[in-house]
Amino acid sequence: MKKFLKQFALGLLAFIIVNAIIAGIYEYPTYKSVQNKTNRNYLKWEAIHKNKNSLDLIIIGTSRCYAAFNPKIIDSVLHTNSYNMATSAQDIAETYYSLQEIFDYQSPKYVVIDMFFEASDTSYDYFQTFSNSSFFNSTERKLNLVYDGYGTTGILNYSIPVFKFNNYIKQDLASLFSNNKLVRNEDTWIKGYLYDTQIVSDDDISNFQPIENFETSTFSKDRFNNYFNKIKDLVKSHNAELICVRTAYPPTRIELTETDDEATYFTSYLTEEKVPFFDLNSFKSDQYIYKDQDFADYHHANYKGAKKASLQLTDIFKQINKKQPLKQ
Amino acid sequence: MLFNSLEFFVFLPIVFILYWFVLGKKLKLQNLLIVIASYVFYGWWDWRFLSLIIFSSFVDYGIGVLLSKETKQHKRKILLWTSICINIGFLGFFKYYNFFIESFVDSFSFFGSELSINTLNIVLPVGISFYTFQTLSYTIDVYNKRLEPTKDIVAFFAFVSFFPQLVAGPIERATNLLPQFYKKREFHYANAVDGMRQVIWGLFKKVVIADNCAKYANIIFNNSDDYSGSTLLLGAFLFAFQIYGDFSGYSDIAIGISRFFGFNLKQNFAFPYFSRDIAEFWRRWHMSLSTWFRDYIYIPLGGSRGSLNKKIRNVFIIFLVSGFWHGANWTFIIWGGLNALYFLPLLLTNKNRVNTDVVAQNKMLPSFRETLQMLATFFITLVAWVFFRADSVSHAFSYLRDMLNFSLFSKPALIPYTVLFLVAVFITIEWLGRHGQYALERIDKINKPLRWSFYLVLIMLMFLFAGEEQAFIYFQF
Repeated sequence: MKKFLKQFALGLLAFIIVNAIIAGIYEYPTYKSVQNKTNRNYLKWEAIHKNKNSLDLIIIGTSRCYAAFNPKIIDSVLHTNSYNMATSAQDIAETYYSLQEIFDYQSPKYVVIDMFFEASDTSYDYFQTFSNSSFFNSTERKLNLVYDGYGTTGILNYSIPVFKFNNYIKQDLASLFSNNKLVRNEDTWIKGYLYDTQIVSDDDISNFQPIENFETSTFSKDRFNNYFNKIKDLVKSHNAELICVRTAYPPTRIELTETDDEATYFTSYLTEEKVPFFDLNSFKSDQYIYKDQDFADYHHANYKGAKKASLQLTDIFKQINKKQPLKQ
Repeated sequence: MLFNSLEFFVFLPIVFILYWFVLGKKLKLQNLLIVIASYVFYGWWDWRFLSLIIFSSFVDYGIGVLLSKETKQHKRKILLWTSICINIGFLGFFKYYNFFIESFVDSFSFFGSELSINTLNIVLPVGISFYTFQTLSYTIDVYNKRLEPTKDIVAFFAFVSFFPQLVAGPIERATNLLPQFYKKREFHYANAVDGMRQVIWGLFKKVVIADNCAKYANIIFNNSDDYSGSTLLLGAFLFAFQIYGDFSGYSDIAIGISRFFGFNLKQNFAFPYFSRDIAEFWRRWHMSLSTWFRDYIYIPLGGSRGSLNKKIRNVFIIFLVSGFWHGANWTFIIWGGLNALYFLPLLLTNKNRVNTDVVAQNKMLPSFRETLQMLATFFITLVAWVFFRADSVSHAFSYLRDMLNFSLFSKPALIPYTVLFLVAVFITIEWLGRHGQYALERIDKINKPLRWSFYLVLIMLMFLFAGEEQAFIYFQF
């Protein structure tokens, strides 16, 4: 028995060492960027934690959102102090706990959430989620996100690096056998917004697929409804107003899409919930005409698209605040 | 509780520690712990259905005791049939009630009469087909005086509910498993290490092979109208590895875990996809069920003895019952019937026992003939699996119609390269290890650093390529 337990312990140790190496490889760049104060999530949360009650407008969602809304443009038109708190692969549960953390330090008048099926599907990017939430000041909130948001799978992914970095390890392994090395321009961040100068290539455009629908995505209505209601209550309890938007897609994808479940579902659900919802693919479409070249890839806006999206958002505010200006 | 769940990874060490370190020298208490642990394991899914297992255990234990006292043959027969009726009655109600009602109503409507009989919203208790057959084997063996009835009620309850194989087999015979509960168990290092290896291999089969194949097999089967023949063939291929990885993976885990506790369960799969004919396939696939049917149905019916008609009848009975055992759906019955059709020519030409050894024994590669035989057997198995997986008989036929045409030679619309690569690795390992009870059994011949590195790679692959957690397919049976 002793020998067996010893062997088992050795096996466990080997597994821990491999995981420690993986954690080192993947966490070290984050660690360094935090030390150098260049980590984008760190900078975002620092803006929230340091300047208490200074923000009027919080924009939140996935990478589609941080690539689309430029607070600088928004603030110049609306004379507000806004911040884009969207993060990569942000999940709806993560949005909820992020807003809890934000409300501890800020009293925004408005919260804008970008609606996206993939934010409420069943494939999570735990590395992004836990990397974002690692900057929460509240430990309890971090743990709540891990367990309440993702259950036992969350705990496993939080504690076992090979799970947490699963996709990244696979990508890196695949890249060993691939010649396609993507060279991206250096990222520039403006109040949480990614100023992206990349323009989608013709090759990529020819490979565009229709927008995800109920069949092609793992969108979970129950999960979305559950967390959306929590978000709604949270925003209301802080006397803020919730506005939902859906950022634009390249027109070629729109053309390819026969059934736009995303638009239909969010429109009907949010109408029922009495939450203002604006689809930027169609909002003032005569004025804001999107081209494929306004995008960096199949669904992220570049700086050109972001300008249109940001101005659309300002128009939305003008429309809903005709009688009551945003900045008193 | 699933073997591939976090709960089980907490549950197993607790039971292991209590079993060896706290109750190590007390056999009765060890058996009692197995009963309690098994009930916790099962009750985790739905505690209400524990009453069924407990009731079934009481009935068969009681009937066993009564059979030992009863000498009159007709009374013994009554006791046997009481057990069969109660056990099959439960199985019939939970598993087949709705099927019979629906089929009854359908057949009436076929002749123009409309019947209105409501089906019931019945939840199928997990593993009912497995433990029912296990307890039945006990009563039948006691009746046939092949086994002394037990007077140790705790040992009997532990035998019926033994958690590693409770919900998806292997279906153990009382003659093999029950006596192991009477004997003092010793912890053997070699057994435990071997068990651990088998658990790792089983988990790899389930988590990496079955769950990843399931993802694409589901997409292809659920949208079969949209795909070409080659894609549909790929769907059937992936399903073949899904079901094999899933079920044989479960068996490997069950056998491996049992070895931690000092028990030896019977081999349930012996590399069935390397079979050279369908008879060999059935000697290698779900062996505990096949031998159960052979011993308790086929041989009592006369087996392969008697007239030609009798032989044909017996083959069809055993395969149709086997299909029906898998589920209350005509697709399973046709699957069974199709396998009977595959098997009959071999039986009737006395070629059903030609391939009884391991393919390419002591050789690295099979001969050309063996390769063709294996491919042909695998292909006809794939065709049968289409019925097994399809939602309905018409779905299966339309799937096969769309698969077996010229589009079979087109490029598949969907090629999951990573999954196919993993399956190729899996087949290679299985091929290299085909002389053992499971693929890694003889790996200890490799030097230690290499062996350990291999284990580590397997485990890392499990973490990296774990598909979405899916319940084991055979739970539904």
